[in-house]
Amino acid sequence: QEEAQAIDQELFTEYKFSVDQLMELAGLSCATAIAKAYPPSSFTTSQPAVLVVCGPGNNGGDGLVCARHLKMFGYQPTVYYPKRPSKPLFEGLTTQCKKMDIPFLPEFPAEAAFIDELYGLVVDAIFGFSFKGAVREPFGSILSTLERVTVPIASIDIPSGWDVEKGKADGLQPDMLISLTAPKKAAMHFTGRYHFLGGRFVPPALQEKYALNLPAYPSTDCVLQLT
Amino acid sequence: DYEPTIFYPKRSPDPLYRDFTTQCEKMDIPFLSYLPTEVQLINDAYNAVVDAVLGAEAEVAEGTEPCAAILATLKHIRIPIVSLDVPSGWDAEAGGSGGISPDVLVSLAAPKECARRFLGRQHFVAGRFLPYDVQRKFELNPPEYPGTECVVAL
Repeated sequence: QEEAQAIDQELFTEYKFSVDQLMELAGLSCATAIAKAYPPSSFTTSQPAVLVVCGPGNNGGDGLVCARHLKMFGYQPTVYYPKRPSKPLFEGLTTQCKKMDIPFLPEFPAEAAFIDELYGLVVDAIFGFSFKGAVREPFGSILSTLERVTVPIASIDIPSGWDVEKGKADGLQPDMLISLTAPKKAAMHFTGRYHFLGGRFVPPALQEKYALNLPAYPSTDCVLQLT
Repeated sequence: DYEPTIFYPKRSPDPLYRDFTTQCEKMDIPFLSYLPTEVQLINDAYNAVVDAVLGAEAEVAEGTEPCAAILATLKHIRIPIVSLDVPSGWDAEAGGSGGISPDVLVSLAAPKECARRFLGRQHFVAGRFLPYDVQRKFELNPPEYPGTECVVAL
């Protein structure tokens, strides 16, 4: 977890990347990976409806970017974003989604069965690699509901609620994981069908410094399928 | 996998561009201190040139240095030129007779009027980020983008 945070810090302070730049690339990789694993034609719902659950931090921001690109790729995303930071970055991303006619739910579906009915996929953009400690409401109840959902769940970077290094055997078991920049230790406990790497922006010098040993991305693709 | 080299004679003080420059420098992308006027040197050292000199909003800049000298050199090179948005030196609407002739044009957001005069091999549009209501409002009618691609060939 510390290494992931150190890499992030270097990207911002040494390389002068802006959060907007990297978040846009991260969210785009998530949408691209989802489009490869769950093409719109594979949905059994009448429309390729996707529920994107956004948490209170950067993982939520990644989710907002992902939702917008999913819309561009022909999906019908709906966002649930209960705790919104009052920072221009997140306000901007929210506006961009709303102006693209992406609905924001006023409350979370009460039962897992409702989610299974309405959506063909759930994107878990609740907690990322900075997550530590206890899960605060409303996310505790949200995660309990998501644990009972039967449609596939795609988690951004870390399955929410998992310990970033050790995982969580009785927690969320997503079908897809999109690791951003490099897989985190928790990815070793991932048992779903699809593991993608996204966030193709780590300069070679930084990859070497942290011995990331990332496999090569195909041509100009922004994602790489690991499993 | 490409080996880009940049020539950036007039650097904007805007922090956005300064940061982009830092990102390139930290990725070991060399910045030339001058552009060779000897066309053969460019033909020999590189396989292609990306023309990101002047865009649609440039009206006055074209005649001033160093743009004029750069464009004069680019007119004579043999390797392909890929122009971003508007071939530099072309009028954004009327096009450019006697200006550079790029091999590839990448229109940003939507093709500009002058794209009608483009005679090169490939014309791409990179505008998948435009929200649908903006597309409708300006009657852009873009073609369908394949799969998850961010560019489409016209």
